[in-house]
Order: sequence, then structure tokens, then C-alpha cells
Amino acid sequence: MVSLDRRFLIGNFRGAFVVEGKGKNPTESIFRLMLKHQFIDGLLTCSKTGESPKLILKSDEVELPSKNTCFGVNSLLKKAIQKYRFSRLAVYAPACTFDGLNKTQYFGIGCNWTKTAISLKVGFLCPGLLTENAFNAELADIAGKSTGVKRFYFDGGNLFYLLEDGASLKIPLSVHHHYTNSACRYCLNMAAKGTDITCVNLKEEDRVLLIVRSERGWSTLAHLQKTAPGEVLFRKAEEELLASVENFLREKILLNIADIVERVELGLPVPKWNDNKLRKFYRIWNSVDINFEEEVF
Amino acid sequence: MFYRDKLSFEEEDFKLKVGFLHFSSCSGCQVAFLDMFEEAVEILDTVELVYSNMLTKRRDIPRMDVAFVEGALCVEDPHHINLLRELGKKAKMVVAVGGCAAFGGVRRLSCGNQLPQPQHQTFVPITEVDFLKTKVKYAIPGCPPNPSLLYSFLLALLEVNEDFLLPFELMTSSTKASGFDIISEVVNKGFCVGCGTCSTACPTRAISFNRECGKPAFNANLCVHCGSCLAACPQSFKPYPQPVYV
Ligand code: SF4
Ligand code: SF4
Ligand code: SF4
Ligand code: SF4
Repeated sequence: MVSLDRRFLIGNFRGAFVVEGKGKNPTESIFRLMLKHQFIDGLLTCSKTGESPKLILKSDEVELPSKNTCFGVNSLLKKAIQKYRFSRLAVYAPACTFDGLNKTQYFGIGCNWTKTAISLKVGFLCPGLLTENAFNAELADIAGKSTGVKRFYFDGGNLFYLLEDGASLKIPLSVHHHYTNSACRYCLNMAAKGTDITCVNLKEEDRVLLIVRSERGWSTLAHLQKTAPGEVLFRKAEEELLASVENFLREKILLNIADIVERVELGLPVPKWNDNKLRKFYRIWNSVDINFEEEVF
Repeated sequence: MFYRDKLSFEEEDFKLKVGFLHFSSCSGCQVAFLDMFEEAVEILDTVELVYSNMLTKRRDIPRMDVAFVEGALCVEDPHHINLLRELGKKAKMVVAVGGCAAFGGVRRLSCGNQLPQPQHQTFVPITEVDFLKTKVKYAIPGCPPNPSLLYSFLLALLEVNEDFLLPFELMTSSTKASGFDIISEVVNKGFCVGCGTCSTACPTRAISFNRECGKPAFNANLCVHCGSCLAACPQSFKPYPQPVYV
């Protein structure tokens, strides 16, 4: 049985903090400091516009994708680890990128010695990814506009786009749902459970909600505060903020579950498929009616 | 030294005896296998390499617990036929290592009849040889598989970690492997999340990343049928122990 409670929607975490970056994007500031103080030797993510994966080597080059588009991050793994020999790599991406990364780490498949080369996994709360064409179509549908999207954020449990013309646009989830990448319509891990830290973009560009999950995430941030005190300010997140995140996730996941059910009705393979060749695999990891929580990965 | 060249083994020797056998292939898999031992300090006490055409001097094939095999069987090569018979007699279990042995790999592209071996024409992955069917327990994708994959595999074998081993067991019955799998099994079924793992897993850059649609693009001309892409994709089978996200 799936229970759409906080434990399922957001997942377990050690602490949640609103982080302020003194006029700068706090997540970028954190990565800048980590590179500067050599906590990490590289950052794997996407370019600011999200159009291509990017490997960042210097602290003054840190820029994170600000739109909800961030495809192909893992395609640079081999280059980073086998060619450039990074051994303390941080990754900033949506949850599904970490699924690929974790699988690579567990099996050793795909890229050699990934297990020991990754230092920190930072996921972002993901409303579903869009391609550039999908952004254009979505905006035309919702607002009849052709201006570009600058950044996405969450406010009061709703998804917003800050547009290039300076306007903020509330994005109705029922419409947004149909413009996202297909796989995002079946996703049950938008909160990036299984990473060290989940970032939630907030309305103000210099504020972010950090959901710290693992011991590694916790000690990295603690160490950072000691090394560079006062550079970013941490304040315990209010319950109201967490509840709004939870509400957003609940609304989106209900849409996703409806789509999964529809696939079952149509006799289409549900995530993941039950192709004969892989029936045994399917049984192992996709016992949908047993426990979603263990199977979302 | 972790390998040995003796002919007989004492009863009290409890080490897992592994060998590496070479059929028609480029030997890249064997190099990756030997590479793995550099990192494998933890298992040197429990594993012993008893045969490798690259490292051991012996010509006869000793009995072994696990035979790792690279390459496809060339039916026209009497040496291969002998090797196959020996394998059937001497190995308790066979692991097909790499695309050539597991799915035909680059051998799928060979038309044979070429110098210096113009009589060689037929290349069959060892997973398809009925004579060995009961012995070939696992197939490992890759061209070559990463040393870290071989290392994790060997550890799993020693620990009898069935969760880890299961996908490799199932891959023995897969006779096709190509980038088309990624398209037909993942992308076309609506499951591709655009993470790019398949592209990093591909040894030949047959899979690139299409930025416009946020999905992989496949160039069949470059594919060597190694099976890495589908095996690495997080949206394909996920038989490995799942972290419990709570
Ligand atoms: S919604 Fe889920 S599948 Fe889609 S990009 Fe976000 S984390 Fe990945
Ligand atoms: S699978 Fe690739 S590396 Fe291994 S033997 Fe065949 S061609 Fe060589
Ligand atoms: S596309 Fe690449 S990874 Fe996939 S089977 Fe072909 S060569 Fe191997
Ligand atoms: S590895 Fe990632 S990009 Fe490639 S097919 Fe699978 S989900 Fe898509």
C-alpha cells in the first residue's frame, strides 16, 4: 500500500534548513566554497540553461541549471572519472540521474570505479523535466507567451516560472504534467530520496531549502560552516514550508499514479516493463502492489 | 604472486581456483580481468588464478572452479574445439566475459575468410553453445567490461550475493544486445529519463545524447553489440538491492 505521507513523499532526513546566500544563489555558493576548500575536485551538472551537461572544475565557474531541464548529466561520467581522474566529484541533478549513478556504482557497470570517485550527491526537488520545445509549448498553452523561462521555484506548494520578461507565472500542475518528459509522468521520487542533500528552489533567488538526508551530507555542511563561517546562513526550516513541499509532491504524485494505472489498464508495461526476457527482474524490483517505497529507485 | 603454475593441488587448498580462457577475441577482456587484480587485494587470499594464456606458462588446462571465458567459438578452429571440450571437462562453472563471449559482440560484425586465418568464418558466442549450456552460469556485458565490474562480480561470486548475480545469470539467455535495446526497451516505452548513463557506458560512442529531445541517439554503425547500454540504464531492470528510501 502506498501512503502519501511525508515519509513517502519527502523521505527521511536529518534536518531541513533554509539557507541564505547574501544576495547569491546559496547552492552555488556552497559548491563554490566546496571547490575552493577542496572538499570536492569537480562538480558534474548541467549548464545554467540546462541545455548540456557540464563538468565544473573551478570555483569561479560554478553555475547551476536554473530551469527544470537537466538532461544527460551521466554522459560525462566516464570523461570525468576515467579521463580526468576526478576522485571527489559532486553531482547536482534530478533524482533519476542518481539512479543511473547508483547503479553504476553498485555494479561497476558503465564507468570504471565510480563507487569511490563520487563525494556528494545533491538532488533538486524536481517538478519534471522539459525540453526547450516543451517549455515553449507549455508557456504558449498556459499564458499565450513566447518568452523564455529563467528559473523555476516553489512557493506555497505551487510551481512557478520566473520568465525572461521578469514576470512570475504560476504553473498549473495538471497542464505541466502533460509537457514533462514521459518518464517524469511515472516518477515517484521527485524529492530525490537517496541523495545526500535535496535542494528546493524558493521564490527569492538567494534562499533555498536544503533537506539534509545522509550523514555524509550533514557532516559536509557542518565542516563547511566551520571552514567558511558566515558565508551562507543556515536557519531551521519552518514546518509550514515543509508542509507546502509535501503538498506539491502529493498533488504531482497523484497525477503520476493515475498515469501508471492507465498504463496497466491499457496493458502497457508499467515502470518498469515486464518484457518476457526480463520478467524475473520485473518481479524483483517492480512489485508495485507490495511496496512502492522500496521500488521507486 | 597470486597465480601459480603447478600441475596438482593439495587437498587442503581451499582457494577458489579461477582460470581465464581465450577464444576468438581481441584479449581486451583478459587485460581488464588482469587489471582488476591490481585492486583486488582483499580477495587475493581466497582466489587463485590457475590458468591464463597470458600469465601462466602451462599449456595444459587444469581443473578449476570458475572459468572466465572471453571470445566467440570459431567452429573452423580445431584449437577452439579442443578448448571447448577441455572447458566442459575441467571447469565447474563458466562465466562468459564481455560482448564476444556473451552475445557475439564485435564478432557479430565479422564476415570471416580474412588473412591471416582465411579458413575462419563462423563465430558463435559461448552462451549459445549447447554443449556448455549447463555450465555457463553468467554472462557479463561490456567491451571490455570494466575492471571494477569484474571485481564486484568476483566478490559477489565469493559471497554468493544472488541479488548482484541475478542479472548476469539472466543475460546468458540473451542472444541479442545492441543500442536498439535502449531505444525499443526504454525510450519507446516512455521510460527514458534522459540521464545519459547509457551514453557513458557505451565503449564506441554509438550512443550519443540528443539535446533537443533529451534522449539518447543511437548510431548502429558504431555498435559492437556489447550489451553495456541496457545493463547500465537505470530504467532497465533493477535487480540490485534497492536502497530503501524512507
Ligand atoms: S520527475 Fe523524476 S524522472 Fe523526471 S526528471 Fe525529475 S526525478 Fe527524473
Ligand atoms: S568483448 Fe571487446 S574487449 Fe572483450 S574480447 Fe571481445 S572485442 Fe575484445
Ligand atoms: S550501443 Fe554501445 S553500449 Fe550498447 S551494445 Fe552497442 S556498443 Fe554496446
Ligand atoms: S540510461 Fe538514461 S538516458 Fe539512457 S536510455 Fe536509460 S534512462 Fe534514457
